[in-house]
Amino acid sequence: MSIISLKNIVKRFPMGEGEFTALSDINLEFKKGEFAGFVGPSGSGKTTLLNIIGSLDSPTEGTATVMGKNISKLSHKESAMLRNLHIGFIFQVFNLLPVYTVYENVEFALLLQNIPEAKRKTMVMEALEWVGLTKLAQKKPDKLSGGEGQRVAIARAIVKRPQILLADEPTANLDAENAHIILKIMKRLNQELDTTFLFSTHDEKVMKYLDRIVHLRDGKVEEDELQLEAGSKK
Amino acid sequence: MLKFLLKGILRDKSRSILPIIIISIGVALTVLLSGYMKGMMGDVTDQNARFDTGHAKVMTRAYAENIDQLPNDLALLEVGSLIETLEKDFPQMDWVKRTRFGGLIDVPDAEGNSRGQGPAAGLAINLLNKNSGEAERMNITTSIVTGELPDEQGEALLGHDFAEKLELKIGDEVTYFGTTMNGSMSLQSFKISGTIRYGMAAMDKGAMVIDISDAQQMLDMEDGTGEVLGFLKSKVYDNEKALEVADAFNAKYANDPDEFAPVMKTLKQQNNLADLLDYADVMSGLFVFMFIAAMSVVLWNTGLLAGLRRYKEFGIRLALGEAKGTIYRALIMEAVLIGIIGSIVGTVIGLGLAYYMQVYGIDISSYMENSSMLMPSVVRAKITPELFYIGFIPGLAAMVLGTMLSGLGIYKRETASLFKELEV
Repeated sequence: MSIISLKNIVKRFPMGEGEFTALSDINLEFKKGEFAGFVGPSGSGKTTLLNIIGSLDSPTEGTATVMGKNISKLSHKESAMLRNLHIGFIFQVFNLLPVYTVYENVEFALLLQNIPEAKRKTMVMEALEWVGLTKLAQKKPDKLSGGEGQRVAIARAIVKRPQILLADEPTANLDAENAHIILKIMKRLNQELDTTFLFSTHDEKVMKYLDRIVHLRDGKVEEDELQLEAGSKK
Repeated sequence: MLKFLLKGILRDKSRSILPIIIISIGVALTVLLSGYMKGMMGDVTDQNARFDTGHAKVMTRAYAENIDQLPNDLALLEVGSLIETLEKDFPQMDWVKRTRFGGLIDVPDAEGNSRGQGPAAGLAINLLNKNSGEAERMNITTSIVTGELPDEQGEALLGHDFAEKLELKIGDEVTYFGTTMNGSMSLQSFKISGTIRYGMAAMDKGAMVIDISDAQQMLDMEDGTGEVLGFLKSKVYDNEKALEVADAFNAKYANDPDEFAPVMKTLKQQNNLADLLDYADVMSGLFVFMFIAAMSVVLWNTGLLAGLRRYKEFGIRLALGEAKGTIYRALIMEAVLIGIIGSIVGTVIGLGLAYYMQVYGIDISSYMENSSMLMPSVVRAKITPELFYIGFIPGLAAMVLGTMLSGLGIYKRETASLFKELEV
C-alpha cells in the first residue's frame, strides 16, 4: 500500500497577468520505506512537489494523498499536525536554532508533541547516537562543522520517527566526504526504521544512493527509474 | 515548552535585553513622573489646605463672594457657638479659626520716630493654645529661622526677609497700622518673638503671624473670625468626605436669605483648585496613555525587527509542524514574560528615583520669587501604593500590543515558500 499517492497533480502559480505551470499531470505512488529522489534542473518542479507532499502547499488540480490524508482538504492546523507527527524535513542549509544546543534543537520536535521529559531524553540521545553526535549534545550550532550541522538536522528530523522524510538538496553545502557520511546515515536509517526518504537533488553523489529516481523536466515526469543496486555504486 | 522558550529568551540578548531595557526605561519614567505628579499635586493640595483653604472652609456668604479682598468687615461672628455646632455635627473634622488681614508695619527708633515701614500680610491663628495643632499644621515650628513661637499675647512672628529688610531683631517692637472690621483705624504694638521662612514666596512676602485673640482685639472682632477651617482627622484631603460635610452644613442654611449666613466650601470649591486638580488627573491619565501609545510604536518596531531576525526560526518551526496560532501565542507569552521582567526592573528603578526625589526634591525657589501661587519651593515626588503597579500597565500593554501587531506577520507567512526561504 502506498504511503504517498499523487494523482493528476497540476500546480499553477500566478505570474503577471497569466499563470506559470510548475507541475503538470503528475502521477506517482511511493511505498513505505522507499529511498527515492526527484532529479531535474532548476525550475523542473522538484521543490514544488516536495512542498505538496510535505503539506506545505496544495495542488491546483488532482489529488495528493499523504498518510491517507487528502492534502487539499486539510486545514492549516491539520497540515501542521500532519507535519508534526509524520513528516520530517532536512534542508540544504541546516537551519538549526542558533540559541539552543544540539540536544535542544533535536528535542524541539518532540516538545511540539508534548512527549514527557524522560521519554524525550531517551529519544533525543538515541537520535544523536544514530548520527554519531552524542558527545556534541551540549554544543551550540555555531561550534559545529558543516557535516556535523547537517547530522544534527537529520537527528532533529528523525527523532520523532516520522513516516516520511523530505530532504531538499541535503548535500549541496557539504564536501564530498561529509556528503557520503550523511547519505550513509540516511540510508541506514531508511533500512533500520523503514522511513520513506524523498530527496530533491541534482547531486550525482545523492543519486548513486537512491533506489528510485524520478526525473522531472518542465513540471512533468520524464522518467521513473528504479536502481536495484543503489548504494553499492558509490 | 515554556522552559524551552525561557531558555531562548535568556540566551538571545537581542530578544530579551533590548526590549527589557526599552520597557525598563519607559516604566521607570512612568513611575517617576507619576510619583512626581502625585508629589507635586499632593503638595499643592496639602499646602493649600494647610495654609489657606482647609479641607473645608466656613465663611459668611458675603465674605466668600469678596474673598480676594480679605473683607474682614464681612467676617463671621459668634464663632464660639458656631465651632461648637460644627464640632458636634461634624466630629470627623477639626475646626479652627483663621483671620487674614493686611496693614502697615512701622518700626520706631529709640525716640519713637519711624525708622522703617513695610506692608504686612497678616495671619492670625491659634498660636497660644498648644493643643490646637495650628503651629504644626502651618509648619511654623519648623519654619522658624530665629527666635521662638509667641508664648503670650502681644507677640508676633515676622517673615525673616521682611524682618531683615526692616533691620529688626528678636525682642524689638513694631506697630501695626490697619483698619478694624468696622472700618475705624487700628493701632497695635507687637514684640517680635521670632522670624519665619515658609519657603513659599506667597507666604513669605511681608509675613506676620499673631495669635487669633490678638487679632480679635486688634481688629475689633469680638468672638469673630474671618474664616473657620475644617481639617479631616485623617489629615489627608478626601473630596467625597469634605463634600458630604459641606453639603450637610449648607443644607441647614439653604433657606436663610441673610448674606451673613455661613457657607461652607470644600478645598476643591476654592481658588479654582477643582480645575487644577482635575487638570492634573487628566494630564496624568493622558501621560500614561501617550506613553502606552509611544511605547507600543517603539516595541512594535522592535518586535518587527525581532520578527525579521527570527523569520527563519518561525519558518523552521512551521516546517517542523508547529501551527501558526501556537507560534503566535508563544510570542505573546514571551512578550508577557519580557513585559513583566521589564516592568519589575523599571518599577524598581522608577521607585528608586522617586524616592530620591521624595527625600531631596528639586529646588525651584528661584523660579517662585514673584509667584503668588501657594506651592512649595522644593518640588518633591511622593511614593504612593499606586506607583508599585502603575508601570505594569504601559510596560505590559505596550510590549504585548507591539508583539501582537508585529506577530500578525506570522499569519501572512506562506508555508508554500518555506523551502525556498529556508535555503537562503
